[in-house]
Amino acid sequence: MKKKKSKLGHEGASALIMLIPCVFFLCVCSIYPICWVLRWAPYNYNGTKATFTGLQNFQRLFTDKTFWEAVLHTFEYAFYKIIVIIPLALIVTVLLQQKLRGSNFFRGVYFMPTIISSAISGMIFTFIFATKNGILNAILQKGNLITEPIKWLTSGDVVMIAVVVLSVWAGFGNYMLYFTSGMSSIDTGLYEAAKIDGANGVQIFFRVTLPMLSPTLKIVLQLALLSAFRDYEAIMILTQGGPGNRSMTMFLYNYYLIFGQSNSAQPQIGYGALCSLMAAIIIGLVTMVYLRVSKKLDDVI
Amino acid sequence: MKKVVAFLVAAVLVLGTLAGCQKPTPAPSTDAPAASTEGAKKIDPCTIKFWTGDRHDMEYIKTHIDKFNAENQYGIKVEVEFLTDDVETMYKLAYQTGDAPDVIGGSNKTVETYGGDYLLNLEPLAAADETYKKEMEIESRKYAYKNWDPKRNEVYCYFGAIRTGTRAEYNIELVKAAGYDKLPTKLSDYIDMAKKITEAGKGEYYGIGFTSSSPFERFCEQVAMNSGITWCYDYKNGKFDFSGYKPIIEECKRFISEAIAYPDEQGVDNMRALFAEGEFALWQNASQEIGVFTEQIPITKFEWGVGALPTLTGEVKGSLDCLVQKGYCITKTSKNIDAAWEFIKYMQSLDVLVGYCEAGYSAPLTNAVRDKYDASKAGRMGEFQAAAYDEVYPSYPSVNLTGDNYRKTLWEAVLGNTDVDAAIADCNKRYNEALEADIKSGDVLRVVIPDFDPMHPGAGTIEFRDK
Repeated sequence: MKKKKSKLGHEGASALIMLIPCVFFLCVCSIYPICWVLRWAPYNYNGTKATFTGLQNFQRLFTDKTFWEAVLHTFEYAFYKIIVIIPLALIVTVLLQQKLRGSNFFRGVYFMPTIISSAISGMIFTFIFATKNGILNAILQKGNLITEPIKWLTSGDVVMIAVVVLSVWAGFGNYMLYFTSGMSSIDTGLYEAAKIDGANGVQIFFRVTLPMLSPTLKIVLQLALLSAFRDYEAIMILTQGGPGNRSMTMFLYNYYLIFGQSNSAQPQIGYGALCSLMAAIIIGLVTMVYLRVSKKLDDVI
Repeated sequence: MKKVVAFLVAAVLVLGTLAGCQKPTPAPSTDAPAASTEGAKKIDPCTIKFWTGDRHDMEYIKTHIDKFNAENQYGIKVEVEFLTDDVETMYKLAYQTGDAPDVIGGSNKTVETYGGDYLLNLEPLAAADETYKKEMEIESRKYAYKNWDPKRNEVYCYFGAIRTGTRAEYNIELVKAAGYDKLPTKLSDYIDMAKKITEAGKGEYYGIGFTSSSPFERFCEQVAMNSGITWCYDYKNGKFDFSGYKPIIEECKRFISEAIAYPDEQGVDNMRALFAEGEFALWQNASQEIGVFTEQIPITKFEWGVGALPTLTGEVKGSLDCLVQKGYCITKTSKNIDAAWEFIKYMQSLDVLVGYCEAGYSAPLTNAVRDKYDASKAGRMGEFQAAAYDEVYPSYPSVNLTGDNYRKTLWEAVLGNTDVDAAIADCNKRYNEALEADIKSGDVLRVVIPDFDPMHPGAGTIEFRDK
């Protein structure tokens, strides 16, 4: 049998050698830590003490009401966030593209929340949403829109609204930037042609802008979806997942399991690793479904 | 030529990466150099390092370290470092790099956090010094799992001071306006008083405020302790038992269901600031509030008082658990054990500890300090003085728990988010399962005190069982 000659050659060897550091860091900083965390799955491990529990953590995963409610809350949060943030970012982008006076100033103002740390914005909104001395309740009561202060952060009925408002405020500037970039690549000749044909502003938006933005929209939606499923920092500062775990999301629950929650729970690294794996599977499934559905957006063009 | 250059660059990158990988440093040696325990010692001049996470008493400690450096007969120089955050991680990292200090501050979690892997057993040193042994009461100041590891039978530090149990801090004017000259002693009456204040406030101020940072511990747990109820661990039977909380939780639910409490639970400092602004009349915390309400967030708008928290029946039937403080440990890697011990003896000498308590940082723990201490010099710390119901409880076994701890679980029941019976049953199940698993694996010993008395929790005969 003829021996197959190596097709690597000198160039291939150089490329391989140059890849070694990257592969090394990928293994050490990514793959190894994931394997290290997952190996604690059959243990109750709090960072110092490990007690072997066998399949107990696996059984717990499927009966853990808090985790599965957190999954539902995550879907709920992602849904509300996306149906508000994407249209809002798109409308603001279109308005700012009209090159009205002050457009650049407002573009900067709308983008500023994006560069503020989630922890800081969470703290600020804690004061805004405070029941008694909160700015929001004060404005609503002064405007006679409410008679009693609303318990934004301590009532299970409205806490998700508060959390979504914060995430929209913090994130829509980012998506506005993506849409601005997408719109700048649209041929202005199309708008001129549409105007010549007698199209008004709304018709131009739905018949020209939106279809031409379709590739950008597809990517922005995917980013927004992944970001919404992974959000936890601001919720952690604002509500710590409360009241009664009503605003607890998947990633926030996993965070508390891995790192512990001050005064409430010690780290449960083994179980947290399993929950993280399940969260990754759920996000993977959602992404797969989205990619199938998003192909329809390509048919618009 | 290009290929040679490419190859050389790649090789340099690879070598640079490998050079970054250090050989793991060996674990701390368990063969610590022996300290002298008898006769006149010869200590050569040396420099020792002392790390502490306590920052509230920085000025006082630094003053006395400077004094020790100037006046000690051995030429020992102490370099102190006041650590800011994550003290435990910094200590352990220092061991890995061979840069550990000689002395570190001890706390009520010394055994759990560091234990015999990192710290020297001080009992032989303490027992050999008659003055230290007597003043520090070394026989009776061994607290299991705090400074004493019963499995190894080693003591890693002795404590010099105490933070007494939680008290109620209150707005005297609002309480008087509600018709009360002093705080009610019975829980239901206390809640009624808070309700009256809230009703009088008409939304401008409330009767009581709770922080989001461990609210259960600051109120319900203290009420349970003082009521003589098993508040976590049943020392007589050697198991966890939270059943006694039911009547307390049922009462405390009124704070939320009847809208008595301030409607937000924010961080501790936020709530302190709101209390200082008169937003609510009753607050509950320990003696650190003196420094807070006099220096950090000074109360200028009203007179504030300090009183006892209520009990279930109005009678005090149990002690409040106090936090032991000002312990000093010698690390196993120290090469200057005798010098470190001289430093510890100085920092825990009578004059230094009495001065510390009179400066208002803590309350006296030992009788020697208590006898010499003048409470009138301690300012408002006098109002937090150790009462007949302030004691140090023996530590219960620290278990590897799944889920939320009892404080969070039971507070959710107070808030009305979960059923009280279900919450209590859940805590009993998880805690005792964890206890049995940890005893079976040999991680902990069961603590049993057959003659346990909640009024004198440290006085009983403690047994450590491996089943």
